[in-house]
Amino acid sequence: MIENLTDSEMKVATKLIFDGLSMAKSSMEMILQSPISIGQIDYINADLDVDRFGGSEQDVHLIKTELLGELKGTSHLIFSESEVNKLYEACLPEKVAKDTSKESTIMKLGFLTEIDNMVSAAVITEFSNFLGLEIYGNVPSLKVMKATELNDFIVKDSSELEAIIHFKAVFHSEELSIDPSFVWVFHKKFLDKIKDSV
Amino acid sequence: MSKKVLIVDDSIYMRSLIKTAMEGAGYEVIGEAQNGESAIDLALSLQPDLITLDNILPDMMGFEILKVIKEEGVASKVIMVSAVGQQTVVNKGLSLGASEYIVKPFTEEDLLKVVDKVLA
Repeated sequence: MIENLTDSEMKVATKLIFDGLSMAKSSMEMILQSPISIGQIDYINADLDVDRFGGSEQDVHLIKTELLGELKGTSHLIFSESEVNKLYEACLPEKVAKDTSKESTIMKLGFLTEIDNMVSAAVITEFSNFLGLEIYGNVPSLKVMKATELNDFIVKDSSELEAIIHFKAVFHSEELSIDPSFVWVFHKKFLDKIKDSV
Repeated sequence: MSKKVLIVDDSIYMRSLIKTAMEGAGYEVIGEAQNGESAIDLALSLQPDLITLDNILPDMMGFEILKVIKEEGVASKVIMVSAVGQQTVVNKGLSLGASEYIVKPFTEEDLLKVVDKVLA
């Protein structure tokens, strides 16, 4: 759908998306206390390569934030099982990271959802300021699923949105050895607002 | 006597982070709430010196909580602590009576600097 934009509109849209992702990158660096880079940004509605998550039968952790307000949309931040364990070891106190009690498990899941909360909010803030829309991210929710289920989940989850716009990026941390995927889906109103802004 | 703090955030991780920072700085955390209803109940019953208030909670927005506790005459200082960082939202929080608005993520040093200033 994003290909329906003219060249000048596309420039505005891609710059806005890049700026939003750059803010998200900065937030992630601050939370994880580690340098992060942004890999290739894709604007096509193609399946995620599940091999990136360690194989189709591996568990993945998908944290979803739904937009509230004047623009419908959803973000999905996706970590493989091994990436999640690396994050716990790097960012949480050892007694929590290694503990399997209910209390520590809740803390670990809370850590993951809070990463998504701040990273998605950075994008939302950039979009809200630029497009003049009152939008917020809802309380994030976490789903653990097999990597094979990932693409179907995102398609189903996005199907409620009319004329959807996609973009995907991969963050990379050399130090932590993680490459989480960040997938956004928006209602077509996003394009209307881009056109209005040019 | 140490100042008393109520922490309102749906994230147990964030509550833990703020609590550790506050207690390390000598403040007394007297309550934690993970939703708006509980936040209002605790604010009214505990009358803390300071409330750190998230803006997006499962049952209501922090702005609504702020309005209610101000209308009820709770004298607590309120610092909004939220990932929602649009300037219009920050301004709205301040206009509703928040003393400060901190955008997540933040460092412990940033948080305590603001808390010390508000409670001075």
